[in-house]
Amino acid sequence: MAIKESKGERIFHVVNVILMIILMILMIYPFWYVIMYSLSKPELAMSGGAFLKPKGFTLDAYKMVFRNRSILYGLKTSLIVTIGGAGIGTLVSAMTAYPLSKKDMPGKKIFTYLFLFTMFFGGGLVPEYLLLKKLHMLDTYWALFLPGCISVWNILVIKNFYKGIPDSLEESAKIDGASDLTVFFKIILPLSKPILATIALFLAVGFWNDFFGSIVYIFDKDKWSLQAVLREIITNTQEAMTRQGITIRNENSSNVSQKTLTMATIMVTTIPILVVYPFVQKYFVKGTMIGSVKG
Amino acid sequence: MSEVNVLVNKNIGKKKNTSKKLWTNICKYKYLYLLILPGFIHLLIFRYATMYGSIIAFKDYNMFKGIFESPWVGFQNFRDLFNTPKFPLVMKNTLIISLLKMIFGFPAPIILALLLNELKNLKFKKITQTVVYLPHFISWVVFAGIIRAFLNPVDGFVNEIIKVFTGGVPYDFLGSKSTFRSLLVVTDIYKGIGWGTIIYMAALAGVDQELYEAATIDGANLFQRMFYITLPSIKPVIMTLFILGLGGILNAGFEQIFLLYNDMVLPVADIIDTYIYRKGIKEAAYSLGAAAGMFKSVIALVLVIITNKIANKIGEEGVW
Repeated sequence: MAIKESKGERIFHVVNVILMIILMILMIYPFWYVIMYSLSKPELAMSGGAFLKPKGFTLDAYKMVFRNRSILYGLKTSLIVTIGGAGIGTLVSAMTAYPLSKKDMPGKKIFTYLFLFTMFFGGGLVPEYLLLKKLHMLDTYWALFLPGCISVWNILVIKNFYKGIPDSLEESAKIDGASDLTVFFKIILPLSKPILATIALFLAVGFWNDFFGSIVYIFDKDKWSLQAVLREIITNTQEAMTRQGITIRNENSSNVSQKTLTMATIMVTTIPILVVYPFVQKYFVKGTMIGSVKG
Repeated sequence: MSEVNVLVNKNIGKKKNTSKKLWTNICKYKYLYLLILPGFIHLLIFRYATMYGSIIAFKDYNMFKGIFESPWVGFQNFRDLFNTPKFPLVMKNTLIISLLKMIFGFPAPIILALLLNELKNLKFKKITQTVVYLPHFISWVVFAGIIRAFLNPVDGFVNEIIKVFTGGVPYDFLGSKSTFRSLLVVTDIYKGIGWGTIIYMAALAGVDQELYEAATIDGANLFQRMFYITLPSIKPVIMTLFILGLGGILNAGFEQIFLLYNDMVLPVADIIDTYIYRKGIKEAAYSLGAAAGMFKSVIALVLVIITNKIANKIGEEGVW
């Protein structure tokens, strides 16, 4: 632009950049602190400080985490639930959204209203608990992902995406004698890969981060998700660790303290997300933008 | 071949009665019904059966008799619920925490989006966005762990700072009734501010850049452009999100509070959802828990309908 900026505007831009840098530091620093603390030697870490780098260096806390039975079981549960929930949820949502994107299917309106209504009204925690009990799903992995894997919101997002696919593609396939099923699996699904990947990622993050399902529906703590195990370690360190058979010797030779162990567990729980996040971030953003377009 | 038949049938159907036309249509779309079937069964079981199950709010639920056989008690559970001294407190806490989050948390992403929008270096903008979105993807469990590590009165980092820089005594933020709600609001904003900007940024991306140029030529400064171009262009989005926020006013943030609260702050932190969990699941008072849940759902539904009506009336786009 040819017009010169005023002094006030220039100051604003400088202040703005500084503000953003401060914000970024605020967002990153807690994780940095946790990583550095988890790598520190406990007797040095005890003195506190900002942990810009580890105090001493040891991986013993991580070794201990991966020797811990409940954390390994938690990892197993979290993987099953994340993969199962994201896989089934995405496929069924994609299937459900297709008929709803068709204009002239009889009963389409009724279906749509039945789905939409559940966005605004639901049974609540207690009836869901009793239902799962009735279905004999309590204490199974199913309880952790089956009820929550399909959301109307996701269906709507996929439906909006389908609407952008040119009708001519389907019509020409139909003239060649393809049925709706063939059209869906051979044409629509492959074309929808980007949106389905986004939905799957959203679901995966949600299931990976879930702790409450385990606490409510699972009594056998060997089937708890990693987040639920982590919660127990965080909220009730001493008790949880004794029950899980972790004993930290208070001798000087020990390279692990409760706090370094907690920090290491936090990192193990978070690392999968931190590793995947930078690569998939743009899909998340795109998916949300598609979702925010009213349909 | 069959496709041709269907087309022919459809044309004939126009002249014949409509029920026959409907039937041929249903046959024509049979595979579509097959596709919708799994999702529909899921809907019936996990949404509508639970909705039906919430009738135990009007029954004296007995585990051995089940939902059907348990005796009806009318509104007794609701009377019991409203008569417990706990309930007004829980409602009050829910509304206060929700409103505080709304007052401070709702404008936060709008302000951040406006600031992000003014960043001229696109690469820097992109990096900033990537970083501020991150906390949204980290679980509340992990955050609870980090919050504890930072605020612990014995060796928390924040308390170390207090000790070193102000010489003050360590403060138990998590165990103090006077700071707990502020803590909830601050950590909630921290986690959500970045991700909250996304929809605003999407709306801003659609603003015609020529508007800014024209305004600049006419002598509008940066702040005037922000106020008269940027803000109005995201106003519909702000309204829609505000409506959704009001509809969810009884959700004060269950996971966050559940992970952070403790006996010391229970009087200021206990919300309707934590109450439902403790009564309805932990203490197995199923009917009471279901009544509390139904109360919450109905209020939420009414709020959404009312706010949407208002939005449509004042000429803004509602949610539907």
